[in-house]
Amino acid sequence: MSEQAVQEVALRVALERALARKSDEYDQSARRYADQLVGTKLDKTQIRGLETLASTTDKVSDITDWLKLRVGRDSKREGWAKEGIGRDLVNELEGLRNDAKKIVQGMGQGDPDLERQVHLRLCREFLKHLAAHFEYLKAERER
Amino acid sequence: MSELAYLLKRKQSIAAWSDRWQAEAARFADSHRDLLPKRITNAQLYGLGNVVHSAGRYADIERFIHHQAEKAERAGRLDVQGYWNDLKDALGKLRNEAQALLKTLPLPAGTDNWEALDALHRELAELYVQHLIAHSLYWTPVQEESGRRER
Repeated sequence: MSEQAVQEVALRVALERALARKSDEYDQSARRYADQLVGTKLDKTQIRGLETLASTTDKVSDITDWLKLRVGRDSKREGWAKEGIGRDLVNELEGLRNDAKKIVQGMGQGDPDLERQVHLRLCREFLKHLAAHFEYLKAERER
Repeated sequence: MSELAYLLKRKQSIAAWSDRWQAEAARFADSHRDLLPKRITNAQLYGLGNVVHSAGRYADIERFIHHQAEKAERAGRLDVQGYWNDLKDALGKLRNEAQALLKTLPLPAGTDNWEALDALHRELAELYVQHLIAHSLYWTPVQEESGRRER
C-alpha cells in the first residue's frame, strides 16, 4: 500500500472516530427534542420521514427546507410549529455546521466539500437519535 | 472523464451549490416579505414550484414568470409585478452559475453543450425555488382563519 493510501485510510478512520464521538454527544440533546415532540400531535411516521430524508439526501438544505415547509404549514401549531420546536430544530441542525468545521479543521484535509459532507453526516446522526428516542417515548406513553 | 464519473461529480457539485445558495434564496424571500402571503399567495408559490419542477427547458420557467408579471401589471398590482420581475432576474442570473459549474465538469464526448447548460440552469432554478418556497412559508405560516389546507 502506498504512503498516500495509508494516509487516506488514517484520515478516514480519524474522521469516523470524530463523527462517532460527536454522535454520542448529541444523544442527550436529541432526547430533549424528542421529549418535546411527543407532546405534539406528530406521530412516528413524520419523525421517521425526516430521518429517512436525512439518510437519503446529499444536501443539508433538503433537510432544513423540509422542516421549514412543515413549520409553515402547521397553522394550528399542534405539530412542527408547536412552541417553536420546528424552528429550534432547524437552528440546531444548522448549528451543527460549527461542529463539522471543527472536525474538518482537525483533519487538515484539503477537500473543499468535506465540511459540508461532515455537516450532513452530523445531521443524520442527530436525527437518528431523535427518531429512536421519539419512538421509545411515544411507545412508553401509549402503554 | 467517463460518463459515470461525470454524473457523480455533477451530482456532488449541484448538492454543494444548493447548500451554498440556500441563504441567497432565503434573502430573496426576506426582502419581499411584505408581499407574503396576501399579495404573493402560497398557491402562487406552489404553482411556481410545479412549473419549475416540470419545465422541459429554462425558457418554460421564464415564460411562466413573465406571464405572472404581465397578469399583475394588467391588474395594477405593481408590487406583485416587481416581485416576479425580481425573481426572473434572480433565476436568470443562475445561468452564470450554471456556466461556472459546467467549467468544472468536463462533459463526456458527444454531449451537446447548450443542452447541458440549459439542463443545469433549470436544475439550479428548481433548487433555488425549493429554498425560496420553504423560507417564504417558514416565516409566513398559513393563516388558520383562511380555512385552507395547503398541499
